[in-house]
Amino acid sequence: MKKMIFDLKNVGMCYRKVASLPWSCNEFWALKDVSFSVHRGETVGVIGRNGAGKSTLLRILANIIKPDIGLITRADVTVTMQSIGAGFDPRLTGRQNIFLSGLLLGMDKQHISQRIEKIIELADIGDFIDEPVKHYSSGMRARLGLSIAYYVDADVILIDEVLAVGDQAFKKKASELIKGKIKSDRTVVLVTHSMDTLRELCDRVIQIEDGRSLPELPVDQTIARYLISRKKDNYAKQA
Amino acid sequence: MRRKNYIFLTFVMAITDFKIKYDNSVLGYLWSLLKPLLMFGTLYLVFSVFVRWDVENYRLYLLLGIILWNFLSEVTLNSMVLLEGKASILKKIYFPRWIIVIASSLTSLLTLLLNIVVFFIFFIFSGAHFRTSALLLAVYLAELYVLVVGVAFLLCALYPKFRDIHHIWEVFVQLGFWATPIIYPIAIVPPKYHPLIFANPAARIIQGCREALIGPSGEFLGFTNHIIITSVAACLFVAGLGMFNRLSRSFAEDL
Repeated sequence: MKKMIFDLKNVGMCYRKVASLPWSCNEFWALKDVSFSVHRGETVGVIGRNGAGKSTLLRILANIIKPDIGLITRADVTVTMQSIGAGFDPRLTGRQNIFLSGLLLGMDKQHISQRIEKIIELADIGDFIDEPVKHYSSGMRARLGLSIAYYVDADVILIDEVLAVGDQAFKKKASELIKGKIKSDRTVVLVTHSMDTLRELCDRVIQIEDGRSLPELPVDQTIARYLISRKKDNYAKQA
Repeated sequence: MRRKNYIFLTFVMAITDFKIKYDNSVLGYLWSLLKPLLMFGTLYLVFSVFVRWDVENYRLYLLLGIILWNFLSEVTLNSMVLLEGKASILKKIYFPRWIIVIASSLTSLLTLLLNIVVFFIFFIFSGAHFRTSALLLAVYLAELYVLVVGVAFLLCALYPKFRDIHHIWEVFVQLGFWATPIIYPIAIVPPKYHPLIFANPAARIIQGCREALIGPSGEFLGFTNHIIITSVAACLFVAGLGMFNRLSRSFAEDL
């Protein structure tokens, strides 16, 4: 049995829309009942319609937010999340941001200094590297985010739809890099709407419907179940 | 290994914050000196030329009060806008959230220390002489730091859920400026109000610093004063950090 990385049992997450007074709030359950586990070296896909709670789930795995109900066990691992608009401080230059993100993601100083030139080269943003990030185009930000994440040695990579931004050239580059990483011995949790990506890369697929994880089936069957449920939806809309 | 990284990270954040703060402005860092000095100049004009207090070394007395109060108001007021500035990072990466508050407080501490250097330049030129009790300044500054960071944790934690706290605290700081003997000598306050004024630990610290450095040494150099200040500061720090740790789990959602 491979080492367990994440284990979720009946996890739920409630967003409280806060009115100005702390005791008056509206609740909204983004996740209701999600259970699954991830083992070392696995590539796990997550599918579900928009608003099913996929991004919330990734943020829980990344320890950015804590679930309100349920139990999550997390091995002592470093986790990086890649998503649209990586976490930059817009006032800092690209170089400073590389340094800061590197530290935040648990790299040490020497490590970053060794790789900073490679990161800059991969990001391919020229002289802009010494400009504040607020002057970057969204494509430049995406490239910088991707190349930082690529050079960080995290045990677990969470990927939230990165393949959906940027121009064709970037998409191609990004998906090649990510595929390279996934095929190495990393543990990956991947949110995507691309069925081809799922079939090609994932060992397992978790389907989330309306905040609940559905019973796990082999990859092909899960994809089929997802496509059927989407079709049903479309019919319902037409009717 | 991990913990060592966090401490280094805190320093990196503090230094980059310091750089950003004065980037893109012509006078740059000089502003952090100019602001208290301009305030000092105005108040000095009003309370030394128009109104006269009978205080020895009033210039030093006033300058020290302003510098210390400025530090308090800067750290506590900044603490509430910190999270919004760092929101994009908070939402993407997990790291202990206290790093943000400590880093920002270190940035202000650096400004405070530079201001204290300026104060000592004034000190030398005004012909006041050093006494051994001046060493107590270090103790008072340490107490002030713990006190202020404790309050900053508390405010920072409450702000995302309860934004009114920003307005409330702004008023509070303004009232506090007048309710603390910063521009006026404590001697003009009727003794029956003294307990009220010195219920504020910051007033004790400011008064103590003055007595240690300039003023006639009075009651605030005593051991009891330090015990009171330290225990209040420690309580606030523990309460603030506790509240912060409890509420920080939902920062990413509330921003």
